[in-house]
Amino acid sequence: MLFQTTSHASGAMSRILRLGAAAAFAAGLGAPAMAQGEIDKPECVAPAQPGGGFDLTCRIAQSGLEPHLSETIQVTFMPGGIGAVAFNLFNTTRTDDDSAIVAYSTGSLLNIATGKYGQFSEEDVRWVATAGADFGAVIVPADSPFESLEDVMNKLTEDPASVVVGAGGSIGSQDWMKAALLIREAGGTPQGMRYVALDGGGDAIAALMGGSIDVYTGDVGEMVPHMDAGTMRVLATMSNERLDEPFADVPTAKELGYDVEWTIMRGFYMGGDVSDEAYNTWVDAFKAAYETEEFAKLQSEKGLLPLNLAGDELTQAVNDNMAKLREIATEAGLIQ
Amino acid sequence: MADRIFAGVLFLATVAYAIIAFVSISAPFQYDPLGPESWPQILSVIALLCLIHILWKPDVEGLEVNRATAFRLLFMVALMIVYAELYEPVGFIISTILFGALTARMLGATLKHSAIFGLAAGIGGYLLCAILLDLNLPEGELVEALLEMGGT
Amino acid sequence: MDTILTGLGTGFAVALDPFNLMLVLAGAFFGTLIGALPGLGPINGVAILLPIAYSMGFEPASALILLAGIYYGAEYGGRISSILLNVPGDAGAVMTTLDGYPMARNGQAGRALSLSAISSFIGGTFAVILMTLFGPMLATFAVTFSPADYVALMVFAFASLASLVGKNPTKTLLGALIGLMLATIGIDANTGVPRYTFGIPDFLAGIDFLIVIVGLFGMAELFTLVEKQVSGKLDSLPVDNSFVKMADLAKSKWTIVRCSFLGFFIGVLPGTGASVASAVAYGTEKRLAGAEGHLFGTGDVRGLAAPETANNAAAGGAMVPMLTLGIPGSGTTAIILGALLMFNIQPGPLLFTQQPEIAWGLIASMYVGNVALLLINLPLVGLFARMLTIPQHYLTPMIAILAFVGIYTIVGNPFDLLLVTGLGVFGWFLRKMEFSLAPVILGFVLGGLFENNLRRALSISGGDWMILLEDYKSVTLYVLAVLVVAIPVYLQRRARRMEGDPVSREDAND
Repeated sequence: MLFQTTSHASGAMSRILRLGAAAAFAAGLGAPAMAQGEIDKPECVAPAQPGGGFDLTCRIAQSGLEPHLSETIQVTFMPGGIGAVAFNLFNTTRTDDDSAIVAYSTGSLLNIATGKYGQFSEEDVRWVATAGADFGAVIVPADSPFESLEDVMNKLTEDPASVVVGAGGSIGSQDWMKAALLIREAGGTPQGMRYVALDGGGDAIAALMGGSIDVYTGDVGEMVPHMDAGTMRVLATMSNERLDEPFADVPTAKELGYDVEWTIMRGFYMGGDVSDEAYNTWVDAFKAAYETEEFAKLQSEKGLLPLNLAGDELTQAVNDNMAKLREIATEAGLIQ
Repeated sequence: MADRIFAGVLFLATVAYAIIAFVSISAPFQYDPLGPESWPQILSVIALLCLIHILWKPDVEGLEVNRATAFRLLFMVALMIVYAELYEPVGFIISTILFGALTARMLGATLKHSAIFGLAAGIGGYLLCAILLDLNLPEGELVEALLEMGGT
Repeated sequence: MDTILTGLGTGFAVALDPFNLMLVLAGAFFGTLIGALPGLGPINGVAILLPIAYSMGFEPASALILLAGIYYGAEYGGRISSILLNVPGDAGAVMTTLDGYPMARNGQAGRALSLSAISSFIGGTFAVILMTLFGPMLATFAVTFSPADYVALMVFAFASLASLVGKNPTKTLLGALIGLMLATIGIDANTGVPRYTFGIPDFLAGIDFLIVIVGLFGMAELFTLVEKQVSGKLDSLPVDNSFVKMADLAKSKWTIVRCSFLGFFIGVLPGTGASVASAVAYGTEKRLAGAEGHLFGTGDVRGLAAPETANNAAAGGAMVPMLTLGIPGSGTTAIILGALLMFNIQPGPLLFTQQPEIAWGLIASMYVGNVALLLINLPLVGLFARMLTIPQHYLTPMIAILAFVGIYTIVGNPFDLLLVTGLGVFGWFLRKMEFSLAPVILGFVLGGLFENNLRRALSISGGDWMILLEDYKSVTLYVLAVLVVAIPVYLQRRARRMEGDPVSREDAND
């Protein structure tokens, strides 16, 4: 900490001048940081119980921003209402909290789109940066008769109810969306498929291996430890391009001719009324982190693929994403 | 009698629960024959039958709580609500000192002992939980403001 | 067998390093402190303390050992508040209050705490041994449990709970229904439709079960204490120096053995954990005690040993699917999985072949963690038991303060403090109306599992109810459910025939 001073970010001096008051306080605590962003008691709110995806997202901010912020980020947990509690809190009482970022995923965006988060929308918060991305995947057990995505799709076209599709979320969740996109591509309707909502990814993998479900529409990231074990096969990824090892041999749904794509974006937002200085400090810290190899390594360790967007770039991406999600959700009858 | 009143209140609550289950819960579409509404419907019907049985044959006569005790209990609930409301605004230390001292006093400790207990619980509790165990306790806006002033 | 022995050898070499031994003792100690706070259990203990360990830059093996210490410590810490204060630390400790607290009120807090420590130790050790020997095989079996089989397991759980029937069976049933109804609050796990949330975002994910436990049990206990205190019905207890006796262990030895296996197997199933295991264990043991069953709930050593053994065995069992298949089966294993990931260890089918020193190191640290817990806690039993000699006018506010700390720290939401207080008032009324609170909690914990698995099974079958009876596992469980209800009746009848009048008179009393 003491020696990582000048080289990390440009514009360091001006930021120090701007944040002089906060720096004086922080300096009293021992770290005379110079090029690091000055955030007083930085906090990353994981809107869930410890141990899940939001926890992981916050850990990436915690480790990844350590060299770029004057203090280490504290991870706090705010379970409740699948993230709705945190989203509402940061839209009502903590709208101007300069020290806190909140983890979100595409699932949170989907909940905003379908109105589960209440009256507030993506316009009401400020989107800071991404931690990385994950992609949807079509997974079958090792002994499955389905050899390729084509087999699955043909069977679905023939008789949608003959394939039991399962995943870790309810109707309207991300996992369900992936299944709904598949069935739509196979010429059916989401209402016509046979879908089982399991309790999270771990439960879904257990159901797949135990033979309760035939196909699991899961994520690429959670498959990493299972790739060499030979208990499950990934038939296709729902990414735009082929992924790196260990998925280099797995085709994308698109290259097989099915227009099914699902990116799970993981990142952070802040309250709508935070100061521009604080917002920019966070954004700059992320941008500085994106430049480093350590951050890339951190992402891959946590099972995420690089997707580095911060500030305006991210806001644009979120807005595009929301439009697409609203379209799909309306089509599936989830938004009236 | 007390049994009947309590069962009556529960009955009304369960009727409200049942009405919601039978009238308003439904999904745009579902994959299982039960849907989101059947389970609560079944539960509410059985619960109503149980409550009718209790209303019919109550077995607890009275609460056996005299006026003084009831008053203290109400006071205790009020103290806890105030404690909960003050928890974040004034922070753990001050709210705990107040709550600890007042509760101890209400339950019969001397004024001096109550004050000492309150202080020990507030400050000792904070040191133990927030410093030693690193739990996330509220410092309170007041304390934070004081710290800021001291810092600059 | 050879690979197991060499593996364990490597593991113990790591775990018994002096620095690591110190870590496991420290972990067990701090874990105990955190676990003793109402509402904070192993999940929070690990979540709170591990980042600190991480920031100190320990080696993965050392961190894992610390983790095992914290995990077991927090697990045991929850028993202290259950036994001494009737305030369970987490869902797995609810059944512990049923006989543990009466023992403490009878002036035998030390005996209860030490018995709890020993039966936890045996249950935990059994689980680790079973895991060492049969882990991978069992995990493969456990995943074949389909939603339909879980429905049968829930039927079995409720059947064994029928033994909890108090004075008024209608009230017991209603209590379970209240728990089941509370569990329906929140977003429906199948269709995503919100139920009984009234637009309050805090309710979308349902009421956290820790809030229900701390509220219904802990706060209700608090109000009962206040009531007794002001009406002068509460005597302060003498210092008790009681300790577990050989006779207690002899009396509960078969209970401990049975519950070790039962707890372990229920723990291995993903999604069920310490709460289900301890409830089933308590119910089964009460039924098996036959004519003496009515002593359960009044401070019977078997009634304490059963849930204590089972919940620790289940905690060990839950590690099996996580380590061997990479499937976190419970909240606690999910956090441990997260902790392992922090150290770049990816549990899964290949952990034992690719990183044997880590896998076996973790198993060895579980053995060591169990022993450390016993070493730390047995000498402290007297000290903990002395807590009860704290005058009531200090103890009561302390319970409230600790419960608020526990609840606030998990969620950081002051709304929950009000919710806990409200549930406490409700719980106090239930107690005054002679409702037993255990069925309420169990209804709440099992409700979601029951409903969701039933609907999952029907989604899989496309609405055909016969799926519930298709598998031998389901059928076996239904048969067991019938037996667990029928056997005690048979045993009592036989005992009555053989011993004549005294027993039947005793029976007539319950």
